[in-house]
Amino acid sequence: MTKLTYFPGCSAHGTSEEFDSTLKLVMKSLDVEMEELPDWNCCGATSAHVMTENLALALPLRNLVLAEKLDNKTMGIACASCYSRMKSTKVEMDNHPELAKKINSTIVEEGEYKGDVDVKSMLQFFYEDIGTETIAGKVTYPLKGLKIACYYGCLLTRPKNITQFDSPEYPMSMDNIVEALGATATPFDFKTECCGASFSISDTEIVLSLSGTILEMAKESGAHLIAVACPLCQSNLDMRQPDIAKKRGKKFDLPVLYITQLMALAFGYPLKDLKPSKHIIPIEQALSHIGEEIATPEVKKKPKKAVEAESEVE
Amino acid sequence: MARVGVFVCFCGANIADFVDVPAVVEEAKKIKEVKYAIDYKYMCSDPGQGMIRDAIVAHRLTSIVVAACSPRMHEKTFRKALSDAGMNPYLLEVANIREHSSWVHQKDKKAATEKSSDLIRMAVAKSIANEQLHEISVPVTKRALVIGGGIAGIQAALDIADARIPVVLVEKSPSIGGKMAQLDETFPTLDCSQCILTPKMVDVASHPYIELLPYSEVLELDGYVGNYKVKIKRKASYVNFDTCTGCGACWQKCPVKVPNEFNMGIDKRKAIYSPFPQAVPNKPVIDAEHCTMLLKGKCGICAKVCEKGSIDYAMQDEIIEREIGAVVVATGYDLWDPKPYEEYGVGRYKDIITSLEFERMVSASGPTGGVPLRPSDGKIPKSVVFIKCVGSRDEAKGIEYCSKICCMYTAKHAILLHHKVHDSHAYIFYMDIRAAGKGYEEFVKRAQVETGATYLRGRVSKIYQKGEKLMVRGEDAQIGQVVEVEADLVVLATAVYPYKDNPELARLLGISYDKYGFLSEAHPKLRPVETAKAGIFLAGCTQAPKDIPETVAQASATAAKVCGLFSGDTILKDPMISKVNTDYCSGCQNCVTVCPYQAIVTEEIPLGHGSKEIRTVAKINEGVCQGCGSCVAICRSMAIDLAGFTDMQIINEIVSI
Repeated sequence: MTKLTYFPGCSAHGTSEEFDSTLKLVMKSLDVEMEELPDWNCCGATSAHVMTENLALALPLRNLVLAEKLDNKTMGIACASCYSRMKSTKVEMDNHPELAKKINSTIVEEGEYKGDVDVKSMLQFFYEDIGTETIAGKVTYPLKGLKIACYYGCLLTRPKNITQFDSPEYPMSMDNIVEALGATATPFDFKTECCGASFSISDTEIVLSLSGTILEMAKESGAHLIAVACPLCQSNLDMRQPDIAKKRGKKFDLPVLYITQLMALAFGYPLKDLKPSKHIIPIEQALSHIGEEIATPEVKKKPKKAVEAESEVE
Repeated sequence: MARVGVFVCFCGANIADFVDVPAVVEEAKKIKEVKYAIDYKYMCSDPGQGMIRDAIVAHRLTSIVVAACSPRMHEKTFRKALSDAGMNPYLLEVANIREHSSWVHQKDKKAATEKSSDLIRMAVAKSIANEQLHEISVPVTKRALVIGGGIAGIQAALDIADARIPVVLVEKSPSIGGKMAQLDETFPTLDCSQCILTPKMVDVASHPYIELLPYSEVLELDGYVGNYKVKIKRKASYVNFDTCTGCGACWQKCPVKVPNEFNMGIDKRKAIYSPFPQAVPNKPVIDAEHCTMLLKGKCGICAKVCEKGSIDYAMQDEIIEREIGAVVVATGYDLWDPKPYEEYGVGRYKDIITSLEFERMVSASGPTGGVPLRPSDGKIPKSVVFIKCVGSRDEAKGIEYCSKICCMYTAKHAILLHHKVHDSHAYIFYMDIRAAGKGYEEFVKRAQVETGATYLRGRVSKIYQKGEKLMVRGEDAQIGQVVEVEADLVVLATAVYPYKDNPELARLLGISYDKYGFLSEAHPKLRPVETAKAGIFLAGCTQAPKDIPETVAQASATAAKVCGLFSGDTILKDPMISKVNTDYCSGCQNCVTVCPYQAIVTEEIPLGHGSKEIRTVAKINEGVCQGCGSCVAICRSMAIDLAGFTDMQIINEIVSI
């Protein structure tokens, strides 16, 4: 049994409850024991790192130091913002021992930072530590027929030198997981575009415009729904849809599901375990596509004249 | 008893403003061996040199110290002054009190003055141990090797051969012509590339002094300047060039289709092929990797249709050896692979192509008959976006340098697009327009005015598909706004990158290359044509990105260098090279390993006087040794000494301060 320290962050205990609950179901199926980090604190995201460097590093550092007290080698982080702050701090600490000492002195009562716990997003954990083959092996209810646009947002694969995971521009890890579940990942160019999350409250107009384009491109890719691995992506794309529809004069009706919800469904958990009531855009209609045949473009047979392939003769 | 003369130069104000020159002279006079010391405003001038000549005679001096600028600047000048006074020129030492003292200590005259005195003291101590050295004379084989048959290699070969010096021209592909043969028209005058190049190609083939070896590669180079031996592999072409008439029946009937490299894979060629109709030599070769007869023993159609019986499936690679005196390396360039630009969707979208692909499309003899076509659906594009600096000047994704030619050829592409598709529009994203060259700025203006192309200053951040169109999103920095352009076709001006085999070639030739793989010149300003290895010269993009005029100029320069080298029957070499004391040599051969010029070999000598047993010792090849001193440093037994920099000379320097 694999063991993993779990850092839920504030969203998993609030707005993204369905992420938290399905994550736990999925981990159970995958034989991973999750141990929630005791006495974890706010990662400081969005406010601390624009205010003071000290605080921006000290808050995540305390979590890292706490995590080192457990026996687990990896800390899995549910929220992309928490992940970004924690991984940035880790990289900063590991590369600048002097700075690490200075910041560590502000939380001296918690202990000394050693740097021996790895920090991963849940997506990264699924992709690197579990692997798509194992995931495919757990599928009892293939999501065949379902077309999914995978949206990574800005923080799961960026900046590249911090995350060191997947491509910063056109990542494929979630797409591959979705395919392992039996669904079809649609070619989606806006998978790492900004959804405007930072302006969620201060300037909603920006969110409506940016998230609107993401939804439009997802729809154009032929997707029935959008898969995400970040609570802020989820809330922006889901919650703002009615406003976006009003503004653009057209409805997208694209439910936004966590990758863990899709995994739970494919692993055989009933629909109610996905907590459909937590969604603004209902998910049932989209999920009804499961089992549909997807028309694949007919492969034209090559005329048997000149042989195109390397080195074959008529 | 040594009698040293010290000559301190003011270098106008360069030294005198920051060093108390008279005080330095007085300090020099205190050194026991110094019998004469004097200063002068410009020691390198004729009166300055005259002072040295006169003092040598008048004061019976045995060695000379000139305290002035870097020896790189005027060592030769002062050596000549010694020679003119009847003194061995290698009895000169230069104390560099300009670059090493006055220029770097401008804020502290006292310290600069003291340091200058120290430098002079060291030079005096060293000069006392100087020995008379004599230049080494080596014979010359008057034949040149040119590697690479693009425009650089062609020009170099023709210029050398026109001086009636035999040339061996080695080209790896079946035809000479290189990248220039792939171009449609050339900036800034829009002459047809083929029309100005192919006559030169024919000249190469018919020149009595040029031996053309197409479909060949250099395997080994041994020897030293004037006396190289080269081994060349002539790849099996499976076609007897002596009897083949180039009629083309074989490639018309060949059933195997392979992506056509010459057309950037836009169309297919056959397994037996000649790369393009104007190829030189105009004889086909069989591509052994794809020919089913060679792979599986089935087919044989080309042999059946060949009236001359020129097809020979049993042909083997052939190794050719030639003795040569000089080498011109002209291996050209590759295009940088734009894959790291994932935000552009390179590889995902068919309608994003490179500039060279566009060049082939607009070429009258190209795969699309001179009209650009979208690879996805074959339609003629009306809105074309050109993106410059794809890879160039991009430290994050590409390389730091400017590829130099893209600004110009993109302007050309805008004009060619306008000529071929009248109702089209070009959008050009650029960082800067670099149009320094004769007629270049005017040409860019012409592109802007004649075609009405929209020049957008800014980088492209994203390309995505929307229906049939590609949406190109970028910044227009001049209005400070994000712009989106609907494009039918996107053309990437990918960076000029060194030819991929350059590092391997550099190793076998014993020359150096930079961090990218461009071959290194001996000096970036004063010796841009030579390499650090005597007798090996560089032409064209193998050294750095260049346009055609600059490439041709450098190629002609290499020809001048080769002709100069071959102007006498022997050549003179600097005598400051390593020497092995075989009494001390243990034969460990560490020196053989560290020598960057492959100048050290081993020889077997009797174990003792009259002994029949033998032992192995190091031997320096005088012609090859460049006097770098690596072997001296690595030698555990202190068996190697470098003439002009002997252990004794260096110890003297250290002891003197």
